[in-house]
Amino acid sequence: MTIRVALVPGVPALLPAYASRVDPVADLRAACLDAVRWLAGAGARVLVVADPQGRRVATYLLSAVGAAAREPGGAAYDAVLVVGNGSARRSEKAPGHLDERALDFDETLGAALRSGDAAELGKLDLVLGVELLASVTGLAVLAEHLSTRHRAEVRYEDDPFGVKYWVLTWDPEGHRPPPP
Amino acid sequence: MTLELGRQSFADEATLMMAIVNRTSDSFYDRGATWAEDKALDRVAEVIEQGAEIVDIGGIKAAPGAEVDAVEEIRRVGSFVARVRSAYPDLVISVDTWRAEVAHAVCAEGADLLNDAWGGADPALVDVAAQHGAAIVCTHTGGVQVRTRPHRIEYDDVVAAAITDTVGYAERAVTAGVDRRAVVIDPAHDFGKNTFHSLELTRRLGEMVATGWPVLVSLSNKDFVGETLDLPVGERLTGTLAATAVCALAGARIFRVHEVVETRQVVDMVASIAGRRPPARAIRGLA
Repeated sequence: MTIRVALVPGVPALLPAYASRVDPVADLRAACLDAVRWLAGAGARVLVVADPQGRRVATYLLSAVGAAAREPGGAAYDAVLVVGNGSARRSEKAPGHLDERALDFDETLGAALRSGDAAELGKLDLVLGVELLASVTGLAVLAEHLSTRHRAEVRYEDDPFGVKYWVLTWDPEGHRPPPP
Repeated sequence: MTLELGRQSFADEATLMMAIVNRTSDSFYDRGATWAEDKALDRVAEVIEQGAEIVDIGGIKAAPGAEVDAVEEIRRVGSFVARVRSAYPDLVISVDTWRAEVAHAVCAEGADLLNDAWGGADPALVDVAAQHGAAIVCTHTGGVQVRTRPHRIEYDDVVAAAITDTVGYAERAVTAGVDRRAVVIDPAHDFGKNTFHSLELTRRLGEMVATGWPVLVSLSNKDFVGETLDLPVGERLTGTLAATAVCALAGARIFRVHEVVETRQVVDMVASIAGRRPPARAIRGLA
């Protein structure tokens, strides 16, 4: 099954309960909403892959574009929203302080995400990822849903608070040519 | 209820800074610093820069002192209001006066709000407000004569008295034709009150807020702060801000102040603690 897939970071600042007068994540929010709107377009049934906190973010983003998450557990779906992000230890001011392994880990993770290659995603050291406070629990399910037909589009990539965020979408109509 | 102050409307949760601008030579706090008209205009520019939504222009000090008749009061504030209006077309301009004659003159020059610190001493003031579409502040003075200090005034219940008088005044204004959304009540700390009265009004301000009328408080550097902390004028800011915080938590809407920046910070902080105002920009623990 080749379906639309998207990745957003599980940033609590995106939630209405934590709204500020000036949105500290305005650009990220815009990218997330664009991605989720694309994902849930035309009434798609969206499977959310996330930890409990990430699920809150996904549920909110879907509701903000007028969509709803499928309940997990075998229900049919035709799009997948994965909630995850890179390390939260990328700088002295980062939530988890600086861990010098964080930049390399995120670089590898970013390359794997852009490639959409299940094998590359499978090679990631998830134990290290957890040590680096990355949110990587959904990557295995992400890999399961990607194929060589998908074309990745990076809609947002930054680490404004020492946490690495990506907003990525994988379009099944990308018809990426097979590697030589 | 939306608050309508002349040319501006303010939503329910909005808190407003009313900056004091004296056109007097003898007011207790600034001692004539803005007696010269150009100095007063500089003060207006300064408080707008600091974020004040309202300027409150007064031509007579509240305490007893040299007689200032209506002609002199109009001379002090009338043309000045016109200058401020010309320079700041959208600013809410309040004039601190109890005289209908003065009110009529300043409304003709563009004043939006009549701050009657003397509790309706001139019964025709509400008619002037109605005629000009101006807003009005209804204060409690316990029935004392204008420009007098309290002397051995007692109340069975000062808060009940303040509510009865200000709400009565507010209803009288509405009956006279003032827009209900343009009426504000003020317990008037220190006016017809000893320090214990003003402290009790502060402590029980929520009862005034519960009337539903928007509440203005004028606490800035007043004697009840000075007597409570045994501090002279000039050293009362911290005490003023403590009283400000208590009133803000109780739900006061308008704060008549000398120090705009400090008061705004206190009022915003309290509003956020009370859950009425989101933080400016919160990311700690939420990235």
